[in-house]
Amino acid sequence: MSTPSSIAAGAPAHIMARNVCVDYTVAGRVNRVLNDVSLSVPKGGFVSLIGPSGCGKSTLLKVLAGLLPPTAGEVTVAGVAPIEAVRQRRIGIVFQEATLLPWKNALDNVAMLMEVAHAGRTKDEIHQRATDMLRLVGLEHAAQKRPAQLSGGMRQRVSIARALALDPEVLMMDEPFGALDAITREEMSAFLLEIWQRTHKTIVLVTHSIDEATFLSREVHVMASNPAKIIEAIPIDLPYPRNEDSYSAPAFALATSRLRRLLKEGHRQAAAA
Amino acid sequence: MTAAPNPGSESKLGSESFVPHSESFPHPGSESFAQASIDATPGFVVSARSALARFLPALALFIGVLIVWEGVSRIFKLPEFVLPPPTAIVRVLIDHQRELAFAAYVTATEVLYGFVLSAVIGAAVALVIARFAKFGRALYPLVVLFQTVPKVALAPLFILWFGFDLAPKVALIVVIAFFPVAINMLVGLQTVDPNLIALMRSVGASRNEILRRIQVPHSLPYLMAGLKVAVTLAVIGAIVGEFAGAQAGLGYMIQFASTQMQTSLVFAALVEVSVLGLLFYYVIEWLEGRYINWVPGPN
Repeated sequence: MSTPSSIAAGAPAHIMARNVCVDYTVAGRVNRVLNDVSLSVPKGGFVSLIGPSGCGKSTLLKVLAGLLPPTAGEVTVAGVAPIEAVRQRRIGIVFQEATLLPWKNALDNVAMLMEVAHAGRTKDEIHQRATDMLRLVGLEHAAQKRPAQLSGGMRQRVSIARALALDPEVLMMDEPFGALDAITREEMSAFLLEIWQRTHKTIVLVTHSIDEATFLSREVHVMASNPAKIIEAIPIDLPYPRNEDSYSAPAFALATSRLRRLLKEGHRQAAAA
Repeated sequence: MTAAPNPGSESKLGSESFVPHSESFPHPGSESFAQASIDATPGFVVSARSALARFLPALALFIGVLIVWEGVSRIFKLPEFVLPPPTAIVRVLIDHQRELAFAAYVTATEVLYGFVLSAVIGAAVALVIARFAKFGRALYPLVVLFQTVPKVALAPLFILWFGFDLAPKVALIVVIAFFPVAINMLVGLQTVDPNLIALMRSVGASRNEILRRIQVPHSLPYLMAGLKVAVTLAVIGAIVGEFAGAQAGLGYMIQFASTQMQTSLVFAALVEVSVLGLLFYYVIEWLEGRYINWVPGPN
């Protein structure tokens, strides 16, 4: 059985999943990749999904983001089904790869989804909004640069700006910093925390970094594989404002060691299964 | 392109080489590095000196071969109709320049029409297969099946259908050259990151919009690769088409001259064919560098 979120007991859930299962059928054999997962995220919350590779954390995110229909169970985002929430542009998505268009500059990449969604009345309006988003992610000076001229971290910032451009309520992020080096990762963590505090988005982050999950989240859901499920939801009592010093705070050490223990336990269970 | 010298970083390295870890040395990801890589990006702007350096080994080898060739044909006193020395070929190139120029003009016209038509038909086939999945599943195997037909064998048929002028050559070029265009562009259309398509769908993009905004631009570098293969095939198609039956052109000239034992003229025409092929190839390469200056793949 999965442990329901401890924080969400009082607050109304912005994202809610109840008894979600996902099966993949490969060559006639049914594989259960997600088994009876429940979670809830309050409005303005920051929740991380952490677990070993293949534990179904990306699959769960896809279900929450409306990219994959669950085999069983119920999911709502802002009170409606994810696919409907996507249609209402309540969900922004950031992938591990920045998935930018190499033939467009940073500004046009940010504007791309707005253009398709007709989110602005005029070209100027879209252009203005895209410029604002680039400023928000600190890349106003790189507006005319193509993705190939940007570093990995900058590309991912453009990708985040693109997701934020349609002003979604929820940001779903699938290992967004997984391809970056350790220092850039920490910089991006601080940057994402700032974005979260300034925009009050609800964020769900998939990561395999214990430090990243601890530093960023209000709550971390630890997942294990075989069968994939959430084994525990850990509230992170690391005080705000969080900054570089937070990494050496006692609460940080406490949370990370607990997460590490849970992940190892899940690992052992998976190995024994 | 990636191997192109980077003037920005070199000069910095040169002037500050005694402080290798100085702040101004560009690190990957830093501002100055990004700036420097912009300067190095346009691969078509290669300075004359580095171009010379690049082609120097090939040029030296080429000249060496010509000298040996000249020497062999002189020492062994080979008759000119067997193997003319390079100097004899050059003489023919100059003496017969008007006829050769006209023949080259005829062949170039065939290549141009045939190539443009191949490009249009190839791109259209790729777009249809990518856009209409069901019809594509019917069309694709037939296109591949058709590719296994030896196209050269169709040349007499085209003469029969279209006469001896431009049309049969253009038709032959198209059946030979459209395939690499279609296949390359199709790969480009079908290798778009699925996450990108998911993003586009999430904001309500239609299939046509995804094709127009994402798939087609993404396929352009692949298309250019296909066009480069197609243009060399187009030259072959034109020559083969003229072999099968023609009244003018470099292929016709080669055939005619060889029956007359005018081997020097055969070689002269061959030289012009090669130059023609090179010209067409580099025009496409130039266009690619000018308009499609991004690298395909994940980013």
